Amino acid sequence: MVGAPFRPALVLVFGVLGLLIAVSFNTTSRLAEARPSRASDLVEVVREMEEQRGELQDRLAELRTEISRLERDAAEDSGIRNSFTHELDRVRQAAGLSEIRGPGVEVVLGDGTEVAAGADPNDYLIHDTDIASVVNALFVGGAEAIDVNGERIIANTPIRCAGTTILVNSTRLGSPYVIRAIGDPAALEQAVAADESASLLFEAYKTQFGLQVSLSKKAEVTVAAYRGSVRPQYAKPSDGGV
Amino acid sequence: MLALVLALALGVTLGLLTNVSVPAAWLTYLGVAVLAAIDACLGGIKASLEQTFDDKVFVSGFLTNTLMAAFIVFVGDRIGVRELYLAAVVAFGLRVFENLGTVRRLLFSRWGWE
Repeated sequence: MVGAPFRPALVLVFGVLGLLIAVSFNTTSRLAEARPSRASDLVEVVREMEEQRGELQDRLAELRTEISRLERDAAEDSGIRNSFTHELDRVRQAAGLSEIRGPGVEVVLGDGTEVAAGADPNDYLIHDTDIASVVNALFVGGAEAIDVNGERIIANTPIRCAGTTILVNSTRLGSPYVIRAIGDPAALEQAVAADESASLLFEAYKTQFGLQVSLSKKAEVTVAAYRGSVRPQYAKPSDGGV
Repeated sequence: MLALVLALALGVTLGLLTNVSVPAAWLTYLGVAVLAAIDACLGGIKASLEQTFDDKVFVSGFLTNTLMAAFIVFVGDRIGVRELYLAAVVAFGLRVFENLGTVRRLLFSRWGWE
């Protein structure tokens, strides 16, 4: 083949071919680098933060026990303090900082198990709005305390959706969602039945999409205490108190 | 032959050294362009061996094929049939192997192995 008459144009196109191959190589290796590292970084960050939060929650629980112990000690010291502590307990209970028991209902919301062919899988899942509407209906029925999978609903509890999970008090929950509410069981049941969007879950959606939903009246349910921190950063009492 | 290999190596080296890359959305265009270039190279070798190589035919063929392939990919993207680029890939792929076969036979006859 020595001395074969290859024209400059052909040589040039070979050069172009080499360049194109190199550019493709650069691009694919850049993409391969970029994608997994970002995702795994985020997963790592989330895991670390969840671990941190777990530790902090444990610490918070410890400190709360310590505080109530000290309060009890103090209460024993004086009768005046006794009434003060009593008031504090009541306020704490109202704020959702203590575990409480009483008659009520237990609502279980679980995803549907089988998705019909060609159907939208989203229809077969419990969404944040479903939980929110049930919680809302229970409050309408006079519920005094509610938790979702052990996450106490307090004054500023958000119920929202993040990807494939539902966040309550920034804790990720998964199906089935168990909602416990303390109040008059009959009134709670009736309030859920009367709520337009909540009742849909128990009737139409249950039969249509096979959602695992149920509501049972209980003589006694236990509602968990709020485990997060309550420390307002911006809100201050308007009467100038502490 | 040496000139062709050197040109190819030079192109690859240049690309790797400058580390030029394109947005992910352009990858399909780039792939089709690479196939068009491979096709043109083999076609050019074949024509050279048959001594029918013509600068005008070669360059215009390379350019129009590449542009048409890019156009097909573009139209496919626009009308939502992403797979339309396969038309170009299949066409170039067939030609590459056809030309490769011809080049092989031409080399055999040139070297007197028949």
